Amino acid sequence: MREPKKTEIGEVVLTARGVEKTFDRTRALAGAELELRAGEVHGLLGANGAGKSTLSKVISGHVTRDAGEVTYKGRALNFRSTRDALDAGIAIVMQETTLAPDLTVLENIFLPELGRPGRLSYGALRKRAGELLASLGHEHVLRLDDEVARLSAAQRQLVEIAKALALDADLIIFDEPTASLSPSEVERLFDIMARLRASGRALVFVSHRLEEVFAITDRVTIMREGRTVVASRDTASLSQAELIRHMVGQELGAIYATPAAAPENAKPVVLAVEGLRAPPEVRNVSFQVRKGEILGLGGLVGAGRSEAAEAIFGLRPRAGGTITMEGRVIDPKKPHQAVKAGIGFVAEDRRVQNIVPDLSVKENLLLAHLGAHQGFGLAYQSREKKIGELLDSLGLPAHRLLDDNMLTFSGGMQQKIIIARWLLLDPKVLLLDEPTKGVDIGTRSSIYALLRDIAARGVAVVVISSDFEELLGISERIVVISDGTTIADLPSRLLDVEKLTLLAAPRTSMRQNTELLRSLTAETGGAGFWALIDGDRMICLNVVTAAEAPGPGFAAGEAKAIGDTAIPAALQRRAADFVTEADGSRSTLLVPMKSQRGHDLGWIGLSVPAGAGVPAAEPIRQRIETLNRAAA
Amino acid sequence: MSHTTNPGAATAEGPRQTSIVARLGRRLEIRMLGLAIVLAAILSLLSPYFLTTSNLFNILDQSVVIGIVAVGMTFVILIGGIDLSVGSVAGLAGVILGLALREFPIPVAIFLAVATGAFVGLISGVLIAYFGLAAFVVTLGVMAIGRSLCYILSGQQSISDIPDSIQAIVYTDVLGVPTNVIFLVILYLVAWAYLTRTKGGRTIYAIGSNAEAARAAGLSVLFYSVLPYVVSGALSAVAIIFSVAQILSVDPLAGTSWELDAIAAVVIGGASLFGGRGTIIGTLIGVLIMVMIRNGLNLMNVSPYWQGSAIGGIIILALLVERLISARANRR
Repeated sequence: MREPKKTEIGEVVLTARGVEKTFDRTRALAGAELELRAGEVHGLLGANGAGKSTLSKVISGHVTRDAGEVTYKGRALNFRSTRDALDAGIAIVMQETTLAPDLTVLENIFLPELGRPGRLSYGALRKRAGELLASLGHEHVLRLDDEVARLSAAQRQLVEIAKALALDADLIIFDEPTASLSPSEVERLFDIMARLRASGRALVFVSHRLEEVFAITDRVTIMREGRTVVASRDTASLSQAELIRHMVGQELGAIYATPAAAPENAKPVVLAVEGLRAPPEVRNVSFQVRKGEILGLGGLVGAGRSEAAEAIFGLRPRAGGTITMEGRVIDPKKPHQAVKAGIGFVAEDRRVQNIVPDLSVKENLLLAHLGAHQGFGLAYQSREKKIGELLDSLGLPAHRLLDDNMLTFSGGMQQKIIIARWLLLDPKVLLLDEPTKGVDIGTRSSIYALLRDIAARGVAVVVISSDFEELLGISERIVVISDGTTIADLPSRLLDVEKLTLLAAPRTSMRQNTELLRSLTAETGGAGFWALIDGDRMICLNVVTAAEAPGPGFAAGEAKAIGDTAIPAALQRRAADFVTEADGSRSTLLVPMKSQRGHDLGWIGLSVPAGAGVPAAEPIRQRIETLNRAAA
Repeated sequence: MSHTTNPGAATAEGPRQTSIVARLGRRLEIRMLGLAIVLAAILSLLSPYFLTTSNLFNILDQSVVIGIVAVGMTFVILIGGIDLSVGSVAGLAGVILGLALREFPIPVAIFLAVATGAFVGLISGVLIAYFGLAAFVVTLGVMAIGRSLCYILSGQQSISDIPDSIQAIVYTDVLGVPTNVIFLVILYLVAWAYLTRTKGGRTIYAIGSNAEAARAAGLSVLFYSVLPYVVSGALSAVAIIFSVAQILSVDPLAGTSWELDAIAAVVIGGASLFGGRGTIIGTLIGVLIMVMIRNGLNLMNVSPYWQGSAIGGIIILALLVERLISARANRR
């Protein structure tokens, strides 16, 4: 057992330096650093795949590092197992909880105790569990004898936290803890985190929800491509825009050989999805995809993109919305109905959802054919010619087709075969969920080329990807989904990784914000917007324009130099009252949005045309500030 | 059931240069065929009577009933299911057959018996595939219900007023081969062709190997998950018909413990209880191994009380040896 050395608040408890980790060929960490102090909430930020989770797992002993040093309370950490980490007092509360669903709350809290020799005293454990929950301020919320399977996501998380405390953990890592919580549950979680902080523990908060980072963290460390790019900065010293810039970096990779073709709106719409609902993940998804076009569905992991694709393909029950194929409404309840309508779907998890391990490569290739084929026999020979052509275009030698195991192929080859499985059927629409997941960088470009080729043959291609660079590189248009709702539909030439990240970040306050802008613009006949201003550039998050009013010169998701907008003077001066532009065409009021703790959340603007008469600034300012307080 | 992935291995490799022996050795049913031959050799040494023509026909004759049941069981195990009810479904179909023969001509009675088996299989299949109940539990329940119905319908007595003319389906010869053996061979040919050459057969393999992928590829997962149970029920009924035709009597206990023999034969034949892996030829070899062991033990006058231990021990030993060999074969 570890000696009960207590740390003073503010004392450094953990430092990680130069941590490296490579999985297969993917470099997950390449020089990660982190410093934690007792009594702080430390935000660990980064875009998808930046290495936040890997670093968390290195610290919590789930993953062993390849290189680098980690010191905890003055001693070098070398965990061989998670058990070691637990004994040292480091615990992790994961997104997917690691509770045993059939055991009770009490048993789960003390699950690690079961691994120790000796008799358990349930009476003593019960008393201690009560104390732990009381220290979290939740002693009456959870019944210790309830089965964990019956608890809500938030309650399970509470059990996880109690479990960490039962081990006397001084360092608790929260890995995306708010992903499945409602706003009020998030508030309660933050309350608990504040109590833990006050008790002198060091907390790591892994997230990409910017508002929450500003709401709870004291310092932040930002990671990008496995490296720490900003180490332990005070949260208060950073603006939202700076944070995003650090997260996404400036440089864009050059692995996308050909730029996406200019959109051609003349092409006919093949698939139109309107108001798709499949709760809880898919709330309101709408998009259209045209013949020969590559459409990207962007968003963060868990935003509901995969679920939307599955609902369209009939793999998931739909609660509402219409799906139209070439003008005809279809209602696929099972995949084979979607296949019949001309849709193909390459699911995200190759091993679980696509590959049939006991069938030969050829039969795997012909699996969708088997589903679509109507007769009693196999009719494999009817596809022989097409298979030959496909193999040629994929660069797969024909003799490998008879291999009896597809799993010995590289990830890229497996993916090509799965894509070819659908191409055999000549689909009109092909949905691909994370088509380059588990495919090494070198082979990715050949998959991109394949997708372009498919689109060039007139197939409407829909690609889901969490890799924003990839999405921007291959698609002509991007529909952004956040929290199960489509929030933007923009040509990719207007976007970059920065804007995409910003648009995709889930915003608890987006709905309220839209309502406020709507009522303001309806009353004044102007245009309302929410934007971040960073030096001489601005990024627009939301725009609502009244029917007749001229827009502010930018659209949601757009980033522009201030000088290029229709309201440069107002954006530049950010005065307390309405600012009239030099040409006198309109007047604009800008009100700063601040979180409760005073962090910058951007600006709310209201721009009215000159003819309408300038309204009084003060009542408007007050309304915006009221919303501020409610939202924060 | 772990597969090792080897990323990058696919690109540069040429055609695999492996000897035919090594290649055949990778197939479980081939190894089991080797085991069957070794077993036959040992038995022929222990008992001079073993390799006589009449005893070989004896073995085939004894293989018919369990061989038929094992075909249905292969279908069920291939989709990753299990059917514990085959014995009592056979018993029930036998009682129906016996009762129907009092009222109807033989073909009608046979039809009613097979329809009974298929219907019970349909009920199990729907409960398992549509309602998602565990196959083990559903067929265990059906097993109990089936046996109970056997007693009720038969009045707890053997039905022995079976018309002699039904023996024709067993004791007619074609070129010296009895009809029940011919039926067995044809059944295995048809089942083999179905499982390897038709949409339904390949769908069954795909479901057993990865049901989620099968669904995502647009295959009719529900239909082909129910079908094996219907086949299994119907074939259990067919098996009891051959048995009844031989002994001209139906006992309410008929078919007891058939499920164990059938499952053992399928597993010895190389099928995976997780589904997706196994062949009809393997099952045939498994059946022959089971029957040969029993036949050999009888020839050597081993007490029937010891035979259970001997058969169980040999099965476990065979699988253990196979697991050790295949672990080595797959490491290459």
